[in-house]
Amino acid sequence: MESASIAPGGHAAEHAEHHGPPAANQSSRLESQFLGMLLFIISEVMLFGAFFAAYFFIRVVGEADWPAKGEELPVAVAGVNTAILISSSFTMHWALEGARNGNRRALRAGLFTTMMLGLTFLSIQINEYVNIGFAPADNAQGSIFYGLTGLHGAHVFVGLTLLTFATIRAFRGHFSIKEHRGVEVPGIYWHFVDVMWIVVYTTIYVL
Amino acid sequence: MTLAGRLKAPGWSRAALSQPIGFLVALGVVVGVRALYGYDPLVDWDAIITVVLIALPLAFLVGIGCFDYWFRWASGAPTVPEDHSGHGARSWKDYFYVNTDHKVIGIQYIVTTFFFFIAGGLMAMVMRAELAQPGTQFVEPNTYNGLFSVHASLMIFLFIIPVFAGIANYVIPLMIGAPDMAFPRLNALSFWMLPTAGILMLASFFADGGAFATGWTAYAPLSTETPLGQTFFTIAVQFAGASSIATALNFLVTIITMRAPGMTFWRMPLLVWANFTTSLLVVIATPFIAGSQFFVLLDRSLGTNFFNVGANGDALMYQHVFWFYSHPAVYIMMLPGFGIVSEVISANARKPVFGYRMMAFSLMAIVVLGFTVWAHHMFVSGMFSWLRVPMMITTMLIAVPTGIKIFSWLATLWRGVIHLTTPMLFALGFITMFTLGGISGIMLAVIPVVIHVSDTYFVVAHIHYVLFGGSVFTIFAGIYHWFPKMTGRMYDESLGKLHFWLSFVFFNLTFGPMHLVGVDGMPRRVADYAEQFATMNVIISVSSFLFGLSFLVFLYNMVTSWRNGPKAAANPWRAHTLEWQVSSPPPIFNFDEVPTVVGGPYEYGVPGAVHGVFKEKRGAAVPAGGGGAPPPAE
Amino acid sequence: MKGHPLARMVLYSVIATIVGTVLVLVIDWFPTGASTAAGPIDRLYDVLLVPSVVIFVLVMTVVIYCAVKFRAKPGDLGDGAPIHGSTRLEIFWVTVPFIMVTALAVYGWVVLDDIEAKQPNTLIVGVRAQQFAWRFTYPDEGDLKTNQLVLPKDRPVEFRVTTNDVLHSFWVPQFRLKTDTVPGLTTKIRVTPNREGRYDVVCAELCGIGHSTMRQAVRVVAPGEYSAWSAQAKKQQKTVGGETPPEPE
Ligand code: HEA
Ligand code: HEA
Ligand code: CUA
Ligand SMILES: [Cu+2]
Repeated sequence: MESASIAPGGHAAEHAEHHGPPAANQSSRLESQFLGMLLFIISEVMLFGAFFAAYFFIRVVGEADWPAKGEELPVAVAGVNTAILISSSFTMHWALEGARNGNRRALRAGLFTTMMLGLTFLSIQINEYVNIGFAPADNAQGSIFYGLTGLHGAHVFVGLTLLTFATIRAFRGHFSIKEHRGVEVPGIYWHFVDVMWIVVYTTIYVL
Repeated sequence: MTLAGRLKAPGWSRAALSQPIGFLVALGVVVGVRALYGYDPLVDWDAIITVVLIALPLAFLVGIGCFDYWFRWASGAPTVPEDHSGHGARSWKDYFYVNTDHKVIGIQYIVTTFFFFIAGGLMAMVMRAELAQPGTQFVEPNTYNGLFSVHASLMIFLFIIPVFAGIANYVIPLMIGAPDMAFPRLNALSFWMLPTAGILMLASFFADGGAFATGWTAYAPLSTETPLGQTFFTIAVQFAGASSIATALNFLVTIITMRAPGMTFWRMPLLVWANFTTSLLVVIATPFIAGSQFFVLLDRSLGTNFFNVGANGDALMYQHVFWFYSHPAVYIMMLPGFGIVSEVISANARKPVFGYRMMAFSLMAIVVLGFTVWAHHMFVSGMFSWLRVPMMITTMLIAVPTGIKIFSWLATLWRGVIHLTTPMLFALGFITMFTLGGISGIMLAVIPVVIHVSDTYFVVAHIHYVLFGGSVFTIFAGIYHWFPKMTGRMYDESLGKLHFWLSFVFFNLTFGPMHLVGVDGMPRRVADYAEQFATMNVIISVSSFLFGLSFLVFLYNMVTSWRNGPKAAANPWRAHTLEWQVSSPPPIFNFDEVPTVVGGPYEYGVPGAVHGVFKEKRGAAVPAGGGGAPPPAE
Repeated sequence: MKGHPLARMVLYSVIATIVGTVLVLVIDWFPTGASTAAGPIDRLYDVLLVPSVVIFVLVMTVVIYCAVKFRAKPGDLGDGAPIHGSTRLEIFWVTVPFIMVTALAVYGWVVLDDIEAKQPNTLIVGVRAQQFAWRFTYPDEGDLKTNQLVLPKDRPVEFRVTTNDVLHSFWVPQFRLKTDTVPGLTTKIRVTPNREGRYDVVCAELCGIGHSTMRQAVRVVAPGEYSAWSAQAKKQQKTVGGETPPEPE
């Protein structure tokens, strides 16, 4: 997501020359990109809400066994995976601090580790799918298990894509102490993906 | 341009090329996955079409050029300096390309959505022809079910919701003194997702087994078992929903961060308030319909069991998730209209909107209450019986904030200097017809009554009183009101009035009698009905044809006035809000200099009151510090 | 001078309210009532109509009155009175609708409890929907299975409604009661038929191609006739093993 009409920074001067739009009045302390990401996350939370509603109806209202008879959820492996994802939030923070302080090495290393941790998470999850012993089509419990974890996995994938862009740009030296929203905004999203996983893990595996 | 050049540049040629590529990719993905899992047969057309339905719209969006800037940005390529070539329309052809100007996008929205209105309306005409007599005359029951399903889906997802977004797109940045929306490229993407959604819905008629035929509500488990057409619906709704969320997010950010200096929240025109609250509803509620359609799609294509009771699924869950969006959606389809009516009435009655702050608060109240009433669509669904009475009470309470709005408009009329222009006639028609529809809504909320009338034509009557007499009347009011601003030309006032009176009369003759047949026992969604309802239905059908024809007056007026109408002044209504202080149509970047807001938007009759001050033009005329009107006294 | 047109407006609206009320009450809205629920529901509906007419007429008269009385003279470019609000009026039109809808909701609730109350000596009837027909079971009659619905007059009935496939809705307009049939659930409605006759069972929830034709008959008969029918039907079921007992009479 990128604000466009009033392109930030360097182009402002060019605008004046060929009669671009007047600079918009900034009527809130919130920056548009942050606000946009925040609202996007709200609607994402609601999308998870719809899936949790399905989970609620199947498990609580429908009183289905959880997990279904004869099936088992790999709570411990998923717990390790949770730790991996949570630690990626810290490396993300490290990268962002690097960007804020102009520490390019920290920025690059932080982004890179975050991506690696995210990829590890995804591959462990895929491995889990392969070995878990039940399929989405087996029963409604399986459907919502794959539904929720899959929805989250898709979000990890989107987060990773955003991080890839940020990493490419970091290695090309696009970010500076003043201008690093391209790291901050994906960072917010990444933290959201992590927090969401904690909720998913707790409801699906632990409870 | 050379052919290769055209295929590389964003536009229709590239979009055309993208389609076969998208198809081949989808084919490859399905065959590849099936080969990997060793499924037999390798080529399963139902699966392929499902993936194709997702791939083709995406390929189109890439081809037409919605993502070019982002691709470049993502790959870390140096950003091209913005030359504004994709901003503003210099000829009519520019409307057919990706454009980032909110005014161009607004008009793209409005014209496109009216196209879908006509498509949906003509389907209604076929339905009415079939229903004119009992028995089967023109269409088979399956086609009939498809017709009303597509009719309602087009009207709701491709007409009412986006046309309001279109009007707001045009007007809001002007009203709040912003040069554009906060995210112009996202804005363009939102628009281009719409035609793809609409075409998917229309294309479902060509699917094997006919168009989706489960109503616009697509209740499971019927919708997980019906033929392929249903898949078109589930996917189209995702595109329309994504478009809706992106626009709402854009409005919220624009309204929060880009208001002109001095434009506090309590100086915003009520149209801006209305779209602010609507956008909150959209951002929060729309993901639920996305969820419900994901479940249906998964059940259909991957054989999951969300709604399969035999495997612990829950059929009623669909309705809860669906209505948690779709009840708020009816306010998504009404609140922007409330905003339009406030603008039209204050300007044409030459009076400040009565109780401005209460008007804004009641919008917020409707947003909050709107989330607590979803199960009033499920009173006979067999859901938890304890939930019914609480839902009845919250539902009926919505009459209170809505009443505030109705009564405040009436008080705004009181002692005004009323100009019965076409937009004003539609606004007044709206007030009366919406009251009627709202009252039938209150009756539907009373459980013992709705146990009898649910799923009858009484509900169909309610739907059309609130959606046509309510939403569509405000849309007409808004189109007429801002026509001079959008096109720079005046529409024909006598044709406008003719349009109003024809619509008003035949609207009531069409949908009024439906209350009667409904209570008398005629169920909705039937291609055939008992002999006893024949007389009423033929009356309804004949009126509906005349009602449909009355739209031709509007169409003619719009087309000819746009081409040859007299040039419009900057401010033909002598309104105070900012969009009227710039030329008609406005300059490409809206304002040479962002105006300063010094008073309320509706200070009609207050001596010396000014809403906005422009540095070059108005600045001189306004005595320093003296132009500010006192904030609305309350 | 000022009071005069206002008084006329009040007069017009009173007349319109009276005419409107009479009109909506004279209209024969409902099909014939054939159950004890019909009385209270029809009355509730009539009670709802009265405030509806009052509100609608009020809105209409104010709109028409303003459009006539305050219409701008040709060439009048003046503004109206700059009235921004009135707290007293606003409090008034918040409280009055609030009280009205609360009262109506309470009344609706009372009627609901009334029509859903448990009754002694209830006849249980199982209803099973399937695209596109209804089937009935009488557990009290030795598990009689039939595609005919016959009910004794004046005996409370509890329908236990289920489905073999998708959603349907079991509706007898003359009884005023309906409930959806939901896979995996048994929904219940109670009804006491009180008028002999033959009525339609209508499917009121879209259930596929045959939805509009999914109709069957329900017959309300005298208790004696009912016993005769059920006895014969049971015998038939035993001997023939078929599911279709003979038509009564
Ligand atoms: C623009 C769209 C819109 C709007 C605004 C509304 C507004 C309302 N609707 Fe409606 N509704 C629909 C669109 C809309 N509806 C649609 C499309 C369906 C059918 C869906 C389907 O199944 O396909 C439906 C169905 C529907 C049902 C389910 C019926 C059924 O299927 O069994 C119910 C039940 O409670 C209901 C109630 C209400 C109520 C109480 C309001 C209230 O918000 C109305 C409030 C307004 C007023 C009351 C008038 C003004 C107020 C005053 C003048 C004050 C004084 C008034 C009093 C004291 C009463 N609606
Ligand atoms: C905004 C929403 C909207 C609008 C505008 C309309 C407009 C109309 N609707 Fe629709 N309708 C719904 C929303 C809407 N409807 C919904 C949500 C349902 C429920 C569906 C469901 O059960 O799932 C429904 C269902 C519905 C039914 C019930 C179907 C059933 O249950 O079996 C009927 C039946 O008469 C009907 C009729 C009409 C008519 C005659 C119009 C007319 O107003 C249309 C007028 C417009 C035109 C005719 C097109 C433009 C005109 C021209 C281009 C001129 C040429 C004209 C002629 C040749 C005559 N509608
Ligand atoms: Cu069964 Cu409709
Ligand atoms: Cu609703």
